[in-house]
Parts: sequence; C-alpha cells; structure tokens
Amino acid sequence: MTKEITYLNYLKKERLPTQWCPGCGNGIVLKLVCLAMEKLNFSQKDTVIVSGIGCSGRSAGFFNLDSVHSVHGRAIPVAEGIKNANENLNVIVVSGDGDLLGIGGNHLLHASRRNTNISVVCIANSIYGMTGGQSSPTTEQGSRTLTAPQGSAETPIDVQSFLKAHHCYYARSTVFHFNHAEKCITESFQFKGLSFVEIKTQCITNDGRRRGFKNAYEMLISYKENYKINNKAEVLEHNEIGIIR
Amino acid sequence: MTKILLQGNQAIAQAAVKAGLQFFAGYPITPASEILHELVNEKTVKLLQMEDEIASINAIIGASLAGAKSMTATSGPGFSLMQESIGLAHMMEVPLVVVDVQRVGPSTGMPTLPAQGDVMQCKYGSHGDYFPIVFYPNSVDELYQYTFHAFNAAEESLSPVILLSDGYVGHLYETIEVKDYDKTERTLAPLGTSNRHFTGLTHEDSKPATSDPEIHKKLIHHLEEKQKLVSKKYNAYEYIENTSSNTLLIAYGALSRVTYHFKDDFAIYRPIRIFPMIKDIKKIAAHYKEIIVLEMNTGQYVNEVERLLHRKVHLVSILGGKIDLQDIWSKLKQIRREK
Ligand SMILES: Cc1ncc(C[n+]2csc(CCOP(=O)(O)OP(=O)(O)O)c2C)c(N)n1
Ligand SMILES: [Mg+2]
Repeated sequence: MTKEITYLNYLKKERLPTQWCPGCGNGIVLKLVCLAMEKLNFSQKDTVIVSGIGCSGRSAGFFNLDSVHSVHGRAIPVAEGIKNANENLNVIVVSGDGDLLGIGGNHLLHASRRNTNISVVCIANSIYGMTGGQSSPTTEQGSRTLTAPQGSAETPIDVQSFLKAHHCYYARSTVFHFNHAEKCITESFQFKGLSFVEIKTQCITNDGRRRGFKNAYEMLISYKENYKINNKAEVLEHNEIGIIR
Repeated sequence: MTKILLQGNQAIAQAAVKAGLQFFAGYPITPASEILHELVNEKTVKLLQMEDEIASINAIIGASLAGAKSMTATSGPGFSLMQESIGLAHMMEVPLVVVDVQRVGPSTGMPTLPAQGDVMQCKYGSHGDYFPIVFYPNSVDELYQYTFHAFNAAEESLSPVILLSDGYVGHLYETIEVKDYDKTERTLAPLGTSNRHFTGLTHEDSKPATSDPEIHKKLIHHLEEKQKLVSKKYNAYEYIENTSSNTLLIAYGALSRVTYHFKDDFAIYRPIRIFPMIKDIKKIAAHYKEIIVLEMNTGQYVNEVERLLHRKVHLVSILGGKIDLQDIWSKLKQIRREK
C-alpha cells in the first residue's frame, strides 16, 4: 500500500515543477515548510506566506494559500503588517539570504525588537542566486563568488547574536539534515514571537560551480561533513547547527 | 454639527479615523509628524512606529491585504523611500492612503518650510507605468473632507491614493465643521480566505507571467482604465470665472490661497484632484488668451498643463518657502508686460 503524500496539498500542483534549476535546494525547503504546516495542522485558510525577491523569493507563489510576493527585502514588514491587522493568521516568511539579511537586514533587526509573532524561514544559499552569483551576507570568508573572485573578504552576518539578545527564536540547519531542519521549522512555527530559521541550501548553478563542486550532490554531502548538530549550545559555532531560544 | 479648531495634519488624522482607518505605520518627519502623534492615542487604530518609511509603506501593504484600511504619512524624503513599494501596491492592486506633507527639497532641503516639489514624484516617482489618483486640498476643511475621499477612492480603485499637502496647509489652524462623509466599504477579501498570489511581477490570474508582452499590455491597460473610471467620481476643482479678464491663473495647495487676492484681475482655476488631470480645464482654458501656472517649484504642473492644452503656458515659480503677495503680483505684471 502506498502512503498518500498529503503535504503536497499545501502546494499549487498546477505550478509544479518549479522553474528552479536542477539540483537547487529550494524545493527541499518548500517540502520542509509543508511538512511543518501539516504536522501542526495549519489550515490553508488561516495561513499566509510572504516572500521577497530572488530565486527563493518565488517560494510564496507555489503555496496553495493566500500569498504575497513583495519587493526585494521587504517581506518582513509586509508580514508584520499582516500579523498586526489579523493576529489569528499564521504568518510565515520564506525568502533568501540576500533578501532577508542584505537589503532587508534592517527590518529583521527591528522586527526582532518588536518580537512580532511571525516565522521567518531563510533559504541561505550563501549567494545572490538569481542575479548570477554575487557575494551575499552569508557568503563564507574566503569563498569565491562572481564579485569576489579572490574570495570574500567580509565576515558573514551573525544574526544569531541579536535575535538571541532580543529573546527571539533562532535555529540553523541544512537541507542535508532533513529531520533536524523539519524540527527547527516546526518548533519555530509554534514559537510565540519572532522566529528565524536559517536553512543552509545549495546553489550549484551560481555558487557551487564556481567553488569547484562537480554537482549538487557533492554540495549536499559537504553539509554533512561541515555541520555538526549541537542541541545544547547557548551560542552556535559557525560549523554547528541547532536551536537557540 | 460641531465646529472645532483643528490643525491641517490633525484634520487628516481625525478624518482618517472616521473614514475607517484601522492600521497606521509611520516614521517621524517634519512637517508630517503631527499625523503620527495624533493617531497614537486612537483606540481603534493599530499603530506602529517603524524603522523607516520603506518599512512603513510595506507594513501598510500587508495590513491592507489582511483586511485593515491603512495609511501612512510622510514628507518628501520619506516619500522618495516609499516609491518602489507604491509601484508594488499599484501592481498588486492594494488600497492604501499615502499622505505627503511637502517641504523644501531636494534632499533635506528646508525641513520647516513649505514647497510643492513632489508633484512629479506623485505621478512619476516609481518605476514603470502607473496611474495614481492624487488629491491636493488647500484648507483644513478640505483636508478633512478629502481624507474621506482618499480612503474611498483607494477602496474603489484598489490602488494607493496620494493625499498631497504641504507644510503650510498641514500646519495651518482653522475652524471647521466636522461632518461624517460617506464611506466606501471593503470589497477585497482579506488574506487567509483563499489561495490568491499577490505579486509585483506581471501576472494573470494569480500566476506570474514574466515573458508575455500581451499579458503585460493587458495588465497595464487594466490599471489605466480603472483609474480613469474611479477618478471620474472625483472631478474636484474650483473655478472662479472672470469675464473681464483674458488671463487664467492655475494654482493648487498652499499657493492657491494667495491667488484669491487676484480674483478681480484674473480668472482662477484650482485643481483639487491634480492627477489624473481633470479634462474640464480644456474647456475652461479656451475662454482665456493667457494661462499662468503658479507653483512652489521650478515648474512641474505647468508642463502637464501645457501637454494637456497643447498651448504655451506661463509660469510663476516660488522657491524657498516664502509666499509674498507683492512679489507674486509683480511677477504676474511682468508676464503681462512681456506680452
Ligand atoms: C531593489 C532591488 N535591487 C536589486 C534587485 C535585483 N535582485 C533580484 S534577486 C536579487 C538577489 C536575491 O538574493 P537572495 O535573496 O539570496 O535570493 P536567491 O536568488 O539566492 O535565492 C537581487 C539583487 C531587485 N529585484 N530589486
Ligand atoms: Mg541567496
């Protein structure tokens, strides 16, 4: 007997397959969000998903519920407006690292001060994927990008520190650590206040390729090798994944 | 009916509450801040002081889509920051009211002095093609009344309506009769009731369509047509005929108040809905040999008037926030002499 795949009900099947590149990790994040919503019995009628702009920013449009695709960087204030107008809605933001932490970084900083009860899922592929592979706020130091051919000189952003200081929920996981990532997202949806889950995701086309990866699978396996689960951490080290509350 | 003494900015805030305002997000700026201050204690309005004007406009977009009548208020610098998302609101068809109380620019300019430098920004400030409805009242009473109209036009057109003001009218105190004007109720179903996708991308039936020119043309045409249709309800202008004069003065907002002094020597036309432009001006202008636009900028509306009328229009430009009757009179005489 085959088990019915019910999480797909959260997606608009007529819009599948997505237009994302073969090997892109974004689809895994969509599935994770669907599974978390299903686990918590989120009704499609009471849930709204908001995205910004980027490859990841296309996420909102695939969900089979009311969704908003805002401008670059502004998904969080849009989501805050929604939540303030109707606090009974589950308001979820799914967007990219450039969108949420670069152009929209100031909004995250202040939304965390307000501790608005919204959940943010950040597709952290450490690159500006859509625009061709420029450095993003989560690009690792030394990592080669289109705009840092010698390797990025900048420190990747540390959102954990201010989210923790503002008593928000912060979790980090990867698309390789599927069950762990699902737990991070599910718990974040239950958190009363602002939650932020950073999911490390591969972009083979505009990142991995430039860094010598032969395919998306190699990138996926690199998460297994590079990240260790630490569920007791007060502060996650840069090679650790876990939940900070 | 009650008579009360109100400041222009206060009038906007109080009328907004009566017109059904439920959510306000804003960031402090002179000369608009009183609107924010006035709303802080309103029990029926959810208010957020945001980190900037970009957050403010986006928060009201979210709130409006979620079902709350929403507004923000700012001045030129903040209005510039909002422009990208004003375009988004046109594309996603979100009803909003955006108040711009103008001050002298560009940049930080002269924060406490009035100007009319944002007229073009209202119409062309965001990228791409869109067709905003813009009201520009010239008294406290009108600000009160047009706040209602702005909310109603926003609901009817499903678009962000601009309520333009300036540091002079915004800070003016006048005694007005507060009345309840008609209110247009929501028709747009709130978020959380369906499976619609609101996007700034060119779209059809909730689906992005980013490479089909026909869909794009259809969408832009739809945006233009609905604005024309709705704005017909608000053909608001003031016309003071003068059969013994061959010259028509055109002015709006703060500066238009001064033109009343010249009504024995000139005819006066004052648009209140400044965009889309009211076509009646064509018929009115036909009665006059000369047309002079007076505005507190180096010439913005004058070009729009010229474009509509296909004839030469003179300009009296007032810069730096100071309105001096004698100075305006001599400029008008100068134009007469030159002809
Ligand atoms: C105001 C503005 N600036 C720049 C862009 C161009 N742009 C589109 S997507 C993007 C980067 C998105 O990066 P990220 O959020 O990491 O998403 P990804 O594509 O990597 O999933 C940029 C810079 C834009 N759309 N709007
Ligand atoms: Mg990215």
